[in-house]
Amino acid sequence: MTIDVVFLFLQQGVASGLVIGSVYALIALAIVVIFKTSEVPNFSQGEMVMAAGYIALYLLVFRSMPLWIVMPATILAAYAGAALFRRLVLNQVARANGSPVNLVIATLGLSYVLRGFVRQTGFGDTPRSFPPVIEPQSIMIGQAAVTTLDLVILTTAVLVMAAFFWMFKYTKIGRAMRAVGMNPKAAQLVGVDLTRIHMIVWGLSGGISAIAALLISPKVLMTADMGSIVTMGFAAAIVGGFTSLPGAVVGGFLIGIIENFVGLFISSRAIVLAPFVAIMLVLVIRPQGLFGGRVEIKKV
Amino acid sequence: MAENLLEVTDLTVRFGGLTAVNKFDIAVQRGTIHALIGPNGAGKSTTFNCISRFYEPTAGRILLNGVDVTRSPASAMAGLGVARTFQNLELFGELTVFENVMIGAHVHAGRSWADALSARPSGVVDHIEHLLQRTGLTAYRNTVARNLDFGHQKLLELARALAIRPRLLLLDEPAAGLRNREIAALDALLTDLCRREGITILLVEHVMQLVMAISDRVTVLNFGTKIAEGTPDEVRNDPSVIEAYLGQEMVHA
Amino acid sequence: MSDKSVLMFPRPKSDTPGLAKPGSMLLTQGALMALGAAALIVLPFLVTGYVLYIANLLLVFIVLCLGLHLVIGETGQFALAHAAFYGIGIYTSGLAGNALGWPFPLSMLLAGLVAGAVGLVIGAVALRMRDIYLALATFAFGEAMQWVFLNWDQVTGGPNGLRISPARLGSLEVLTDRQAYPVVVIVALLMIVLTVVISRSRLGRSFRAVRESDVAAMAMGIPVRRAKITAFGLSAFYAGIAGSMFATFSTYIHPDSLGFQTTILVLTMVVVGGLGSITGAVGGAIVFGLISEFLRQTPSYQEIIYGLILIVFMMYAPRGLFAFVRDLMGRMARG
Repeated sequence: MTIDVVFLFLQQGVASGLVIGSVYALIALAIVVIFKTSEVPNFSQGEMVMAAGYIALYLLVFRSMPLWIVMPATILAAYAGAALFRRLVLNQVARANGSPVNLVIATLGLSYVLRGFVRQTGFGDTPRSFPPVIEPQSIMIGQAAVTTLDLVILTTAVLVMAAFFWMFKYTKIGRAMRAVGMNPKAAQLVGVDLTRIHMIVWGLSGGISAIAALLISPKVLMTADMGSIVTMGFAAAIVGGFTSLPGAVVGGFLIGIIENFVGLFISSRAIVLAPFVAIMLVLVIRPQGLFGGRVEIKKV
Repeated sequence: MAENLLEVTDLTVRFGGLTAVNKFDIAVQRGTIHALIGPNGAGKSTTFNCISRFYEPTAGRILLNGVDVTRSPASAMAGLGVARTFQNLELFGELTVFENVMIGAHVHAGRSWADALSARPSGVVDHIEHLLQRTGLTAYRNTVARNLDFGHQKLLELARALAIRPRLLLLDEPAAGLRNREIAALDALLTDLCRREGITILLVEHVMQLVMAISDRVTVLNFGTKIAEGTPDEVRNDPSVIEAYLGQEMVHA
Repeated sequence: MSDKSVLMFPRPKSDTPGLAKPGSMLLTQGALMALGAAALIVLPFLVTGYVLYIANLLLVFIVLCLGLHLVIGETGQFALAHAAFYGIGIYTSGLAGNALGWPFPLSMLLAGLVAGAVGLVIGAVALRMRDIYLALATFAFGEAMQWVFLNWDQVTGGPNGLRISPARLGSLEVLTDRQAYPVVVIVALLMIVLTVVISRSRLGRSFRAVRESDVAAMAMGIPVRRAKITAFGLSAFYAGIAGSMFATFSTYIHPDSLGFQTTILVLTMVVVGGLGSITGAVGGAIVFGLISEFLRQTPSYQEIIYGLILIVFMMYAPRGLFAFVRDLMGRMARG
């Protein structure tokens, strides 16, 4: 490999990595916001992305609805579905026996139901492709080739993240979420409705997953197994410290770039190993993640 | 053998910018009951959790029987003869009373392979029966800890701590939430443990009735600093203590 | 013995709920065990080879479930790589038999030890931080291992799968399910006994202590992190042994059956049986093993049904089927 090729690969890896990484960042954000407020790693996050992708596909292709209706409709459906799952299922699980492991198992159950359902409807039995939303044109940035679609993905993801951070920091709901994350009992004492906040958190997480689905679906072949993208989201979240929202974003971009480097420099077959290696490296070298502080000592 | 079983010097704990405990010293004499009191947020529990090694002190030294344990892991303390209870009850909720106390004897239950493999290791079973009887829990031995009433749960924590066969017993608010006659029984039990079995006790407590009745020595903390130390009588009449407590805790006294 | 100090506490009423009657319980347990043993012995004389194949498979699932029970049920740690360790066990014992010609008891032990050793390393790294990282790291590890199984052609045969030569001991060769059955039964029984011994021992108590309250466990002198790593390593050892059991009666293995679905299948068994009880793990393996064998006819519904079972049990019977039935019967008896 000559130095020119290395240089070219570096540029291409960073450019493509930032694009796909922005989607990983969204998924990691969706995972972390739930974990921060309820200590549950949501194993159905990937299937939420997958299901949202199929909802959009159904409305767009099989119902021939225009894009400006399909997009908000998909996001709303994911929001409502996730919030309802929290309210109807997880609340009952927490009441039945408050062990966090049980909540995690319930999310695993949801991931299976969603995947089985998509397969059952007949849409998920063959790989499908999302219709091109915009005319893809190639653009060169330095020596890296990207498409207009890539730029739309990156820009949208960054805007969504900015909006989310603004919401989290400056609105009343965002403050309530942070309070619940720090100390649920205290938050309840000052009048925060825990059930409502949990529903909104799950709804937002579902909505963000739907946006990630809308962004990623045009770039990949859709199958009922596309939820496995969540491994990248988990890796990104762990790289970022798992409780840090900015960490999740940076982790997402990093994982995207690493994945592309592995694909370009080593082998595209080895990409599957990238998230596992990244997780283990972070746990060995810096277990609290890039942005995580110490794990808070349990008050005894 | 050092005269003081426990010696803490210059203990400082900072959480971020907040100094919870500042250059705190305490020496607990062998075979005595020593109380650590102070208004809410004074740093008592933080100190207590440093001594039992659950928190990392920012600075200072903790000597147990002359041996430096400042950096020992919390799980090593039981083996050194230090037992503790918890302010908000940390029982093994789904396990029976007997099993709770049995786990207390963890450090003594592995003397031989036969003991380590046994559900009722011969070396500790008699002691556990004795502890159950002593705390009045014998009849509850097969009850799941979560189903006990609050008073019995507190006793179970005590029995479990005693199964460690401690030299030093650290009690975090043992009387909190107990009814008066239960406090009287606790008073008798703690005094007995100290006087007859020579167990040294350090307790953090808000219930002044208990503190004043059983303590040999009392240390008062406020805003992370020691403001007084002495016999119960000396401390009770100390103006700085009265000032610190003004309007809150003295109602208990 | 000082009795006087307790007199001030209210004495318990004579009949405390939760007091078991050890005598009758031992009797029913003993009767059940005798019945089970008798069934295991007469089974091969009554049924066809296919039924014995299912029996072998159920026994493998029992060992898989016991392993997951140790880490999730006893220790309360969530791990999601059981299929990977199962696969490590299958390939290790298969290769020890194929390439090295080892007698099967040795290759079984090797399979358990290799899987256990990998488990210890993964556990030691994953448990450095939050508990839940074990779930995430093992989830990623499971995906990575399935990739390794699919791509390490020289060892696993890659996407073509691997033919496993018959298990050997001296001149003896295990060629059929019927011949493998006694081996599989004996290993499964040994693993059940081992689980009971561990569970009753000091080690088992320390696992449960960690599950119930890690801070209290620490105060009792239990090195919490080491206990978690030990439990996880043990569960990997069990999965490795289960893999080697599978290798004694199976002639072929393909990486497709070593993915996340298999982990979830075992998890479902343990959860349905009842987290935290050995009877639950064994019962769940049998009941759900049979259900999943029937569901193989309609693979498309399989995922939905597994998922719904997990959700519904977590919502309404978090302690599993057996505890649920017991509670129900207790409630009915009381009226």
